[in-house]
Amino acid sequence: MIRLDNVTKVYGADTVAVRDVSFDIAKGDFVFLVGPSGSGKSTLLRLMSRQERPERGDVWIAGKNVNEMPDSRVPYLRRSMGNVFQDYKLLSNKTVFENVAFALEVIGKPRHVINQQVPAVLDLVGLADKADRFPDQLSGGEQQRVSIARAFVNRPLIMLADEPTGNLDPATGEGIMQLLEAINRSGTTVVMATHDHRIVNLMRKRVIQLDRGVLVRDQERGVYE
Amino acid sequence: MLSRVAYAFRETWASFRRNLTLTAAAVLTSAVSLLLVGTTFLVQRGFDNLLVRWKGDVQLIVFMAPDAAPENVAYVEGVIKSQPNVVDIEKLAYLDKPASYEEAQKLFVGDPTMLSLLTPETIPTQFKIVSLTDDSALLRSLADQYRILPKVQGVSLAEDEFEVISTLSGFVRTVTIVMSLVLLAVAVTLIWNTIRTAMFARRREIEVMKLVGATNWFIRIPFMLEGLLHGLIGGVLSCGGLWGLNRAWESGVAGFKPGTGVSSLVVPSGYVSGIMLLLLAIGALAGAIGSGIAASRFLDV
Repeated sequence: MIRLDNVTKVYGADTVAVRDVSFDIAKGDFVFLVGPSGSGKSTLLRLMSRQERPERGDVWIAGKNVNEMPDSRVPYLRRSMGNVFQDYKLLSNKTVFENVAFALEVIGKPRHVINQQVPAVLDLVGLADKADRFPDQLSGGEQQRVSIARAFVNRPLIMLADEPTGNLDPATGEGIMQLLEAINRSGTTVVMATHDHRIVNLMRKRVIQLDRGVLVRDQERGVYE
Repeated sequence: MLSRVAYAFRETWASFRRNLTLTAAAVLTSAVSLLLVGTTFLVQRGFDNLLVRWKGDVQLIVFMAPDAAPENVAYVEGVIKSQPNVVDIEKLAYLDKPASYEEAQKLFVGDPTMLSLLTPETIPTQFKIVSLTDDSALLRSLADQYRILPKVQGVSLAEDEFEVISTLSGFVRTVTIVMSLVLLAVAVTLIWNTIRTAMFARRREIEVMKLVGATNWFIRIPFMLEGLLHGLIGGVLSCGGLWGLNRAWESGVAGFKPGTGVSSLVVPSGYVSGIMLLLLAIGALAGAIGSGIAASRFLDV
């Protein structure tokens, strides 16, 4: 589903964010990208969603080389992946329902599809009764659930999550992980960047560890070291 | 498809309301610049009306009395043609009654009293003379010579009527065109800046849109529509202004005595409508250019 071949990303003249990284993630996998701040986790996620392009190497998503993809095809690539962020990136002037509906609206889905899919996904994340609230009327955990609902409402093949529990207390973070695991069980490939030891050790999923942009460990059912 | 169109219009309207002060500035600047463009056209048309009888380098006009017989006309023509070293015989034109009447319709468009007095029967016919010399004294002596011929009602010299108006017209044209262009550039810049500000205000929304797979055109179109509307509304306001200005001018001119020539400065209403359409088109184009540049350049917010 996702393959990186000798990928190197350099910012500016000489800041190497990712150096010669290669790995392969199969359909339906759940993978943690771990490492300290600045180790290149977020850069890898941005390379996968073509928010960045590597200086060297290739990034393949669902059999397509995203570096060689024309700009006009990038929106269609992104429709096959959901993005979740540490800061949620919700629109404060829209309700929970509107935030989730927005993801369908901007890709041109008709109103009847929106009215059917949004309540279903809000039900899945446990926020069916808060559809009319605004983001600032919700707790951090609830806001992250809205963000996950927005990422998942289009039933993407891949879910990219960048520190989704970074702003949450441990109990709330666990709730979010259960949600991501449920999404993974439905067949969506999940790649999550984190430096939350506890969660990685609890979940025992595949772990890809980075250190100053270099892949130092790729382990099935791994723990945070 | 319908939902996309509805989305574009809804977003355009929302953004319009959000940036009300900047929007008002952009719209008003467009309106003022377009009004100046429109006024330039009308003033030029007014001058052209004044100069219509001198078209084609005509320097001398000999008016024949309305009751001149064909032999009188032939005699005067013979006199004119007898000086081929001064008069350009090739370009000598004789306007008979219908042709003179048609010309008068343009010349006295703003002077209905004058027009009602003129009929194809009572109008003087005219010889339009292009001379081969620019020697003012020679032309004047020629005019004096023609004036005393039988059934010649009068002789007009281009020098007397034409040159002042022509110089004034050229000056006014240059000044108004330069001012219109500068103001139009200001309007485009303001529209560009308004759209840029609107995009910056919604950068988070745009970021989310890009992440969930909205195409660039889907993101751009509401902003481009907004700029187009700025220009178009400016155009509508300028049309209103131009209409008012023209009405005021018409009623002002009506106060002059008939036959003073000022009435020629009134332009036909069909021409004013044409200019209004042109202003709407220029407004929409200016808006589309300003917002198009902004929407393309600032999408990576």
